[in-house]
Amino acid sequence: MKQGKSFWLMLLFMFVVAVLAVGCSSDDTAGDNGSGNDEGAVDGEWEGQTIKVQLIGDFDLEDSTDPITGETTKGLQVIKDEFESQHPGATVEFIIMPWEGYTEKTQAMITSGEADVYQMPGIADFAAQDVLEPLEPYIENDSEFDLDIFIDNQVNGWKALGSDSDELGIYGLPFLGDARFIAYDKQLFDEWGVEYLSEHPTMEEIEEKAKQMTGENPVSGEENYGIWFRGDWSSAFTLINIAEGQNGSWGNGFAWDEIEFNFDSPEMESGLEWLLDMKEYAPDGLVSDQGSEKWLTPDNDIAIMLNQGPGDTIMPAYAQGLGDRIAIAQEFKNDEGVGGMFAGSPITMAKDSENKDLAWEWMKFATSETVQQYIFEEANGMPAIKAAETWDSYAEVKNLMDPTMEAMSTPWTPRYPWASSQPRFILTSEVEAALTGERSATEAVEKAQKESQEWLKNRN
Amino acid sequence: MVKEKLQINENGVENTVTINDDVETIKSKKRKAAFTWYIFLLPSFIGILLFMVYPIMESFRLSFFRSNGTMETFIGLQNFQRVLTSNTFWNTVWNTFFIGFFQIFITIPLGFIFASLINSIRRGQNFFKVIYFLPNVTSIVAAAMIFQFVLHPEMGVANYILDALGLPSSTWFSDPSTAKWGVILLAVWHWIGFVIIICLANLQAISPEMYEAAKIDGASGLQQWLFITIPNMSGTFAFLLITGWIGSLQRFNEVYVLGGPNGSPARSIQTMGAFIYERGFTGFEFGIASAATYIMFVIILIFTFINLRVSKMQL
Repeated sequence: MKQGKSFWLMLLFMFVVAVLAVGCSSDDTAGDNGSGNDEGAVDGEWEGQTIKVQLIGDFDLEDSTDPITGETTKGLQVIKDEFESQHPGATVEFIIMPWEGYTEKTQAMITSGEADVYQMPGIADFAAQDVLEPLEPYIENDSEFDLDIFIDNQVNGWKALGSDSDELGIYGLPFLGDARFIAYDKQLFDEWGVEYLSEHPTMEEIEEKAKQMTGENPVSGEENYGIWFRGDWSSAFTLINIAEGQNGSWGNGFAWDEIEFNFDSPEMESGLEWLLDMKEYAPDGLVSDQGSEKWLTPDNDIAIMLNQGPGDTIMPAYAQGLGDRIAIAQEFKNDEGVGGMFAGSPITMAKDSENKDLAWEWMKFATSETVQQYIFEEANGMPAIKAAETWDSYAEVKNLMDPTMEAMSTPWTPRYPWASSQPRFILTSEVEAALTGERSATEAVEKAQKESQEWLKNRN
Repeated sequence: MVKEKLQINENGVENTVTINDDVETIKSKKRKAAFTWYIFLLPSFIGILLFMVYPIMESFRLSFFRSNGTMETFIGLQNFQRVLTSNTFWNTVWNTFFIGFFQIFITIPLGFIFASLINSIRRGQNFFKVIYFLPNVTSIVAAAMIFQFVLHPEMGVANYILDALGLPSSTWFSDPSTAKWGVILLAVWHWIGFVIIICLANLQAISPEMYEAAKIDGASGLQQWLFITIPNMSGTFAFLLITGWIGSLQRFNEVYVLGGPNGSPARSIQTMGAFIYERGFTGFEFGIASAATYIMFVIILIFTFINLRVSKMQL
């Protein structure tokens, strides 16, 4: 009798464990093989097909309140409904992840075939792993699609090398735009009686004006700083841009076995010297990302901000009522008008996707005006298409968007292939060492060059 | 089913003993009971196998490969060689030990003194226990973010107090020489509550008769503390020393929040854990990261062994 009781108890326990395991697993009921039979599925060309789309950042499925503006923003459900109505029978599912640790999460997802379409800033690393579908055949065979819709240089910026190709190819379409520029506070310029920055300021102009605006503000009596830049995380990119402004470069090549670094070039060395000079006109904490807490507030005390991005500038400025007080100038450009880090996010198609045609349809849809406008107006993201300039919402923030669009069309392309790898951290650490007086500029760039070359040699 | 068995008793008389199969013997009962508990242990055991044993073995395998997660090439011991000859790695070892050493050798004595003071007061013991223990229940990530403001070069409370006392202020996390001390301050603040509680538990377990005897012999309060309290605390000190070192050598969260994966500024607060994260999860060098993990494991193993010998703690 007791034996029977134990048996049933064990059986019950295992049943509970099984129920929990099934309950906690992901919902794969729709399936990827096109044989799903959802009740909600509508008869049509794409009947029963489901694609999973991974997105990174502040996306929400449901309507929510924007923490910056306090306004209600529409959730991704709007986009989902629109896509599914345009593609009868199709289902799109979103997997949203935060920016924190997105690289390793994307790696885990793509390794296990979790999604069909990925938002993928680290496209170069993944294309080299042979896990992405080349998009040229889709582009060529689709008469409805035209690469000219994108802002200049955006497509080139995301080109990457496949595992066995020698030429850069298209593995991703521009999805989120981004740019780097110089932002400044016009009110401080007025109070100091300094002329606004030109559209394409030189290093000399920046230095002269930063120097003029450091000290006690003649109107408010507050302590002002002429300039600020992040001395830690992004300092390598700030330095590279200064080198580009002097017609230098980070180096050349794209595949790891072809790359050559120029970290110890005269342009890099003089660029670092210039940053050391600029530090004199900046608050103390810039090496630890401190000192700029008042930026984009009415009490701002910094005149010029180097290496800024639109996501942290445009909407926050308007939300603070400072839309007309803040202005944007271009980063340093070389004689060909090119310079500044290429940034943003492309969308890519997983090579192991079982619904590639539908995935391509989604990619076209995601780069259409419908979704791009949604991103700009509802998700505080930058569009990647030229048509943005015709939107009413664009016109409302035109004074900040126009220079941003220009910055988006003139970055250094393709994207720095080492931007997420060890050379970036080596260079960043050496810039920090110079900024904190641990090493001279010459020693710092030489050490960065030596260590990066060694790393490259070991890697290859 | 019923079985009959013939038995001869001590007087030579034959008895028939009836054995019923439905009646469980003690042995089989115990076996079944143990088996049932193994079934209950199974889910957590599977969890340990999947999320601990498998990653440990996989990491060991990866340490012999050049791997970016999908593509792998066997390279033997090259990853170990690269880590062991890397100045950056040894810099992280130095940082880890420097921060750990000062955290432990400031916190344990200071925590013990505070615990002794709290133990000696009659009223408000629980109040002080709660106050001192609060930092320990605070998330280290949140605490690190707050410390960035506390140690802000211009707006921070620490510099304000230093200024008020007429002492020179510091740029804290913006200077490699002071950034480590910023981390040590945070670590001391966060850990001291735990040290106090553990010390208090031991203090309250020391027999009051020993103090009474010492008083009769004319020992002063300081003498009692030095010759009765401290010797009786040796087990607790050894425990705190060993757990403190293991925790210190694994330090990651707070330095990641304060200085990012490369331990800004100029790798001054990059620990071994941050080195592993930087190479593995920002650079896709899983082979290097795995080799560094095993080297870190060996370092912790050797150091814990030395600690056990020094503190004469029994495992």
